[in-house]
Amino acid sequence: MKQFIDRVDARLDAWGEALKRREFRFPSDLTAGIVFALVGIFMLLAMPSQITVTGGDVVDGRAFPALLMIVMLAGCAALIGKELVKLARKQPITWKTVNLLVEVKALVILGILLVTYLLCKYTGLFVLGAVFCALGFLVFFRCRKRSYYVITLGLAAGIWCAFRFGLGVSF
Amino acid sequence: MLEFIGPASGLLFTLENIFWINIGVFIGSVFAAIPGLTVILCVILFLPLTYQMTAIPGMMFLLGIYCAGGYGGSVSAILINTPGTPHAAATMLDGHPLSKQGRTKAALKIALYASTFGGIFSALMLLFLGPQVARVAAQLGTAEYFMVCLFGLTIIAGVSGKSMIKGIISACIGLLLSCIGTDPMTGYDRLTFGVGRLYMGLDLAVCLIGLFALVEILAKAELKPDALRLDAKKMEDNGVITKEEYKRIARPVLLSSIIGSLVGIIPGTGASEASWFSYNTAKNMSKHPEEFGHGSVEGIAAAEAANNAVTGATLIPLLTLGIPGDGTVAIMLSALMINGLNPGLSLFTTDGDIMYAIMLGLILVNLFMLLQGKFLTRLFAKVVSIPQEILTPVIVIFCFAGAYSVNKNYFDVAVALVFAIIAWVLRKLDMPAVPILLGMVLGNMTETNFRRALHISDGNPSIFFSSIYCIIFLVLIVVAVGTIVRGKLNERKAAQAAGKEH
Repeated sequence: MKQFIDRVDARLDAWGEALKRREFRFPSDLTAGIVFALVGIFMLLAMPSQITVTGGDVVDGRAFPALLMIVMLAGCAALIGKELVKLARKQPITWKTVNLLVEVKALVILGILLVTYLLCKYTGLFVLGAVFCALGFLVFFRCRKRSYYVITLGLAAGIWCAFRFGLGVSF
Repeated sequence: MLEFIGPASGLLFTLENIFWINIGVFIGSVFAAIPGLTVILCVILFLPLTYQMTAIPGMMFLLGIYCAGGYGGSVSAILINTPGTPHAAATMLDGHPLSKQGRTKAALKIALYASTFGGIFSALMLLFLGPQVARVAAQLGTAEYFMVCLFGLTIIAGVSGKSMIKGIISACIGLLLSCIGTDPMTGYDRLTFGVGRLYMGLDLAVCLIGLFALVEILAKAELKPDALRLDAKKMEDNGVITKEEYKRIARPVLLSSIIGSLVGIIPGTGASEASWFSYNTAKNMSKHPEEFGHGSVEGIAAAEAANNAVTGATLIPLLTLGIPGDGTVAIMLSALMINGLNPGLSLFTTDGDIMYAIMLGLILVNLFMLLQGKFLTRLFAKVVSIPQEILTPVIVIFCFAGAYSVNKNYFDVAVALVFAIIAWVLRKLDMPAVPILLGMVLGNMTETNFRRALHISDGNPSIFFSSIYCIIFLVLIVVAVGTIVRGKLNERKAAQAAGKEH
């Protein structure tokens, strides 16, 4: 068993090293400006179907969200404009470097969270999801101490008990 | 004021309140002592619990977490040279060197005493200043209230993150999220995109669990293996503080308490700014400036008194105007409002007994923090070494249980997960999350006052410039924006100059 775990660890380390070297960068301010401009435009286009107005009001339910989106679009225009001016003047723009290993690890964590949620939701047993979550993270951190497994699983069950019997949350 | 003190004391001094204060202080100290866990995260995790309590125990519990968080951060700063909370960074400069000199206990004691003094000073400020500010707030109409919201949002958008434009975009997103659900004035559904469950709107606690707590779990992906475990230094000294040292720390503690309280009143500025500002002031005024950075007792005392003096002061704009001084107290606002307590003069008159009980309770919180600090510091020191392998799943389980318990529905857990993903993307784009929180907290108040003011003026926007208070807030917004922009430009220039030097 120990040899098998060592082999898996060695394989994971090799993948980790390969991923760690892979980095890509993107212009963060420019990307943020474009992404939120698209969000703003989408919201403005969706507003007529999403917010019903009667027509007689001086200020209807669309006024405030529409104003917000206009302010946001102005902010996005300023952000994009600032970066484009920098590009035109051949000044350095704001870049963000993303490491592939970090993103893959974040995806694995997200996977643990999603499976925990699905287990809780579809079995109706919160404690089952909690136990999976505890095991998932211990495996993710490559924990080999048995005492940690006992403590964490005990805590997972303890939290469920506290909510279930202490606070009367039925799950 | 005096007519409320008696009934307020009766409401405050109950076993239930004392119990929740102590639980809050204990949890706050433990959370803040662990590097990577913040006070805001702790308040978010335990907010759903307060939904099942009445106003006073609920607020006492949250204030216990908030105040003890100010002190708890110093434990890891002193023991392992890693601030448990961002505002303990200034404490670390002298706390850890003093610990390395074999005076760990003494350093922790100075931090505790200074924190307690700062906290009590700030609580008294709130007690005496709060009702006066509330009286001014009572004269504000809908247009003025809209300008107040705008002022709070502008400052927080400006000071959160590196770019003010990004802060404004984040604030707009937060305000837009607050529009989801039933229109407060017409009752029609808004922006629900066919999801029936959204007609109730997004629950603040659920969104915050995703935005601030679960995203920290995703951020564990950035953790290096050696950061999983931190070993705390053992406390072997007797912890004696000499008379000479007491004399030396008296002045910086008092001065830092005043600075912390003044900084705390300004929305958007927080404990970090107060502690650094006070630390520098104490250094400039000290007879032994050469000791700063090498274990100065004055340095520890100044930083700690200031960061705890912020706690009561941030509640002044919150309780009087509904403008949270920082992200953590923004969350407390929802705990107040769920009990039907709305900020403003009525809080100090109609609900005066409850309000004064909460304000007096803040003094009590600081006293219990002193007691727990005195007797449980060894335990807090051990907590610093809890490994991430155990801590991470425990936080996730708390997050899920907390999100579920708000409405007893797994839909909320899914919402929290969606917000965690959004927060992760926002991090990649360097977008600050605190303005989103403020936008969500202030959204309803901002929109309602905006629409009511325009209804009164028959759609004429000049109502927002019609009164002296509107003009004062407009000038404040312009001055604040100018100051923030100038500060950011100076920061950029300094960074560029430093880059050229290297």
